[in-house]
Amino acid sequence: MADDMITEGMLDMFIFETEQGLETLENICLESRDAGEFDDDHVNEIFRIMHTIKGASAVMMYQNIATLAHKLEDVFYYIRESKPENIPHAELLDYIFEVSDFVNAELEKIKEGAESDGVADDLIEQLDKYLKKIQGGKGAAKKEEQAAAPAHAPEEEKPHFYIAPVASDSSHFYSIFITYSPDTDMANIKAYIAINALKGIAEDILFMPSDIISNPDSAAVVLEFGFKIAIQTTEDADRIMELINTSSGIEQVEINECTGQEFLEFCTEAESKAPASTAGEIVLGPIEQPTIRTDAKKPEAITLTEEEEKGVEAVKEAQKEKAEKPAPKKKKPAKKAETQSFISVNIKKMDLLMDLIGELVIAQAVVLQNPDLKVPGLDLSNFKKAAAQLTKISSELQEAIMAMRMMPLKNTFQKMNRIVYDTSKKLGKDIELEVIGEDTEVDKNIIEHISDPLMHLIRNSVDHGIESNEKRASIGKLEKGKIVLEAKNEGGQVWISVSDNGKGLKRDEILAKAQANGLLGNRSERDFTDKEVYNFITLPGFSTKKQVTEYSGRGVGMDVVVKNIQEVGGVLDIDSEEGRGSTMTMKIPLTLAIIDGIIFSVAGTNFVSATNTVTEFIRVDEEQLIIEPDGEEYVMIRDICYPLIRLNEFYHIAGGKEKISDGIVIILSYEDRKVAVFADGLAGEQEIVVKPIPSYIKKVPGISGCTQLGDGSISLILDIGGLVDKK
Amino acid sequence: MAEEISEQKVLDDKAVVEEKKQYMTFRSCDEVYGVSLENVSEIIGFQQYTEVPETEDYIKGLINLRGKIIPVIDVRIRFGKEPLSYNDRTSVIVIQVKGTVLGLIVDGIEGVVEFGDSEVAPPPSVSSLAKQAQKFVFGIGKSDGEVKLLLDPDKLVNDNDAEDEEKDEDEEE
Amino acid sequence: MRTLIAEDDFASRKFMLKFLSKYGECDPTVDGMEAVDAYLMALEAEMPYDLVCLDIMMPKLDGYQALKAIRDIEQERNIPEDKQAKIIMTTALNEGANVNKAFNLGCVAYAGKPIDQAKFENVLRKLELI
Repeated sequence: MADDMITEGMLDMFIFETEQGLETLENICLESRDAGEFDDDHVNEIFRIMHTIKGASAVMMYQNIATLAHKLEDVFYYIRESKPENIPHAELLDYIFEVSDFVNAELEKIKEGAESDGVADDLIEQLDKYLKKIQGGKGAAKKEEQAAAPAHAPEEEKPHFYIAPVASDSSHFYSIFITYSPDTDMANIKAYIAINALKGIAEDILFMPSDIISNPDSAAVVLEFGFKIAIQTTEDADRIMELINTSSGIEQVEINECTGQEFLEFCTEAESKAPASTAGEIVLGPIEQPTIRTDAKKPEAITLTEEEEKGVEAVKEAQKEKAEKPAPKKKKPAKKAETQSFISVNIKKMDLLMDLIGELVIAQAVVLQNPDLKVPGLDLSNFKKAAAQLTKISSELQEAIMAMRMMPLKNTFQKMNRIVYDTSKKLGKDIELEVIGEDTEVDKNIIEHISDPLMHLIRNSVDHGIESNEKRASIGKLEKGKIVLEAKNEGGQVWISVSDNGKGLKRDEILAKAQANGLLGNRSERDFTDKEVYNFITLPGFSTKKQVTEYSGRGVGMDVVVKNIQEVGGVLDIDSEEGRGSTMTMKIPLTLAIIDGIIFSVAGTNFVSATNTVTEFIRVDEEQLIIEPDGEEYVMIRDICYPLIRLNEFYHIAGGKEKISDGIVIILSYEDRKVAVFADGLAGEQEIVVKPIPSYIKKVPGISGCTQLGDGSISLILDIGGLVDKK
Repeated sequence: MAEEISEQKVLDDKAVVEEKKQYMTFRSCDEVYGVSLENVSEIIGFQQYTEVPETEDYIKGLINLRGKIIPVIDVRIRFGKEPLSYNDRTSVIVIQVKGTVLGLIVDGIEGVVEFGDSEVAPPPSVSSLAKQAQKFVFGIGKSDGEVKLLLDPDKLVNDNDAEDEEKDEDEEE
Repeated sequence: MRTLIAEDDFASRKFMLKFLSKYGECDPTVDGMEAVDAYLMALEAEMPYDLVCLDIMMPKLDGYQALKAIRDIEQERNIPEDKQAKIIMTTALNEGANVNKAFNLGCVAYAGKPIDQAKFENVLRKLELI
């Protein structure tokens, strides 16, 4: 979806808020599924949501949405007022989902700049029938009362309409800065001419100072501070230059393309500066109550409101205003978590911040490990204290910044609710979804990459993993079909797993297919471990499904899932028990981690491993080294046998110590396994910034990234899992 | 009311001038190559790199460029020629295509030349160029009596040698 | 329907005139001040305007000021709500803050430029102007 931004702020807001409302609506519905009915809070909330959507879409002139929302609102108005008993819940849920789907579909069209031409007449009719049904034979009289329901009256206030401009998606945003030579006469008029020239091509235009026509003193301001313009147009910078550069007196024109976001900021900035009536004096209006929110989606609308002077009525908070328009906003019972205030920030700024903190860590290391400090005889006690303080603050800063990029998986997981519901319903299976650890936080970047794979895994479980109700009954599975979606932190990784209690993977079937595809080579079937067998299903085109269903089985799924996971440096772990179920676990490293690392070297190449993976390092004697007949080496340490990996051999690095007693053995732990790694020596311990290996270089097994050490040299970061797997 | 102060607009002299594109040229193994200047982020002297195991032989490793870690490749080896030991004329041209950055180790920098689109000829089908080099050369331009082989930075940066070979094999099947 | 148009850009003014002339008489003005004057004159002649279209960026008096001025005049003269002119802002500015400000000052609709004619007509119908 990238960066296409609709900057008609009104449209943005409308889309955003409506989508939010619909999401809440869906969640309430899914929550109520087991209970079989809506409680009072639910009813009120749904009513409120539909009411808002109705009002907003009417203002924005989307009559189809407004009428549909109105109908559903009517239904809930009745439910709220008359509290009918035992209304068909599942049927109602279906209707609500259909409404939500319709509106979402229309929103998609609107987002793309297309017409909202959807027709919901059938749905409206169905809702009408449903409403009549639950009203029962309560008599015409009562129905008449409802028809004149008070809830509808307050809206007959002043109607407001927002006529969105005809969309053009090839708009660019530019910020223009014009400076005039100091002896220019009537600079303000010249500035106005520039604006006038641009109005013809502008879809939206703002400028500062804004009182160039009415206030002759503005000429001085323009001369001193220059003239700033922000413009939205389909034309390019050259055309703009052509249009502007016509007056004498212009010293310089700077035109920069900017993002929609920056354009918005200019607008709000321009609003806040009261016209500079006294040259140079700028009065900033107080910024009231920013209502802002973080959201993974792109258009990040900032709603700032300010008071403007000049005898114009103060503007109330845009947010409150909108909500209060139809009816006084009922304060929702505090069922939801405390409302927090949020700020939406441009992603680029966050990225910049992350880069800077990374550089800070490295710079800090360079200072703290500086060779100048190694001069013998220096008293560094004061320095050390100061250094400790610096380190402490820097650590806290890092944590705070990383926390900013982290978002809980909650949203992603909740989407899965709907998918399980839809898919299982269509297939006639009764499946429950349990979600654990949805508050686990993960870098925003990761969330974007795993959403699709996760959906695919869940669909797989529903479609192929869990047996149909009859089948389950016939084989004696009494418990309901269940899928457990879990997220947890493990070491420097986050593990997201999808487990089902279905039929599991059939080793024999998979091997047969692999055999047919010639994938087994010379190895006999018995030689393949279960994990290796399961991994076959991640090969492109591999599917033992005899039938391709709408949801899965085409064999184009699992390999794409794995690819997506690998793109964020993760792996897919498959575990299964035939007849009992399967578990797919995505193991993803936390990106841009800043971790404590232990550095060791092998023939001039430096490797780093996270300190928490290093169990111990020890010098080992020849006697402790065991060489198996097949050439595999092990070391015996305190009666435990560890497989040994010689880094220089493993990575074909020339040089490096040969004798076990000359180098150092480092025990690294990976999940519940431990492995011994042989290196020349330890080079130190340092906080490192995990950086990805540049994209040009293809992934090297066993290496998960690189970093810069205190002395500026580059070190490779070991990925224990990769090491062990490759071996 | 807007005072219409009309100014005489001087029309641009839209002489029929072709837009020329600038290329950074460098020498590698007796050939002169060029890369569009837009994609060149900088040129630095040779600096020691850190090897990355298990990579193609033309990928020498990683260098630290003011905090950014950049991969470097030896152009000679990439184009199938004998590598040369690095001396003080050896330079690294850092190119960037969208988000991907790559450093090219070259024998020496030549200079910037300009070619209009009409001055660039397609590469000859039969050439003395090594097979490995051919796929990167999109055209040739002549300047100062010398032929400059123009490289496509996109191909350099999205170099998927192994995949291409696999593809060739698949096609042959 | 009698319409008053305030728009300082020649091309936009022509567009509005052409578009709205099909519904009745249309009077063009080129800035906020002229618009308010015209509005007053019409009131005095007892042929008030039904619809006023105000551009926001205008010289002398901008759209907001003109809007406020007209509403103030209506209040002063105790003109009942149903007889008040329906005012539509026409402008390139589309930010929520601008729009809400305009609504607060008493306009009934806000049309972003380039104007969607179909929607505009729709609104006129809803407002029972046509």
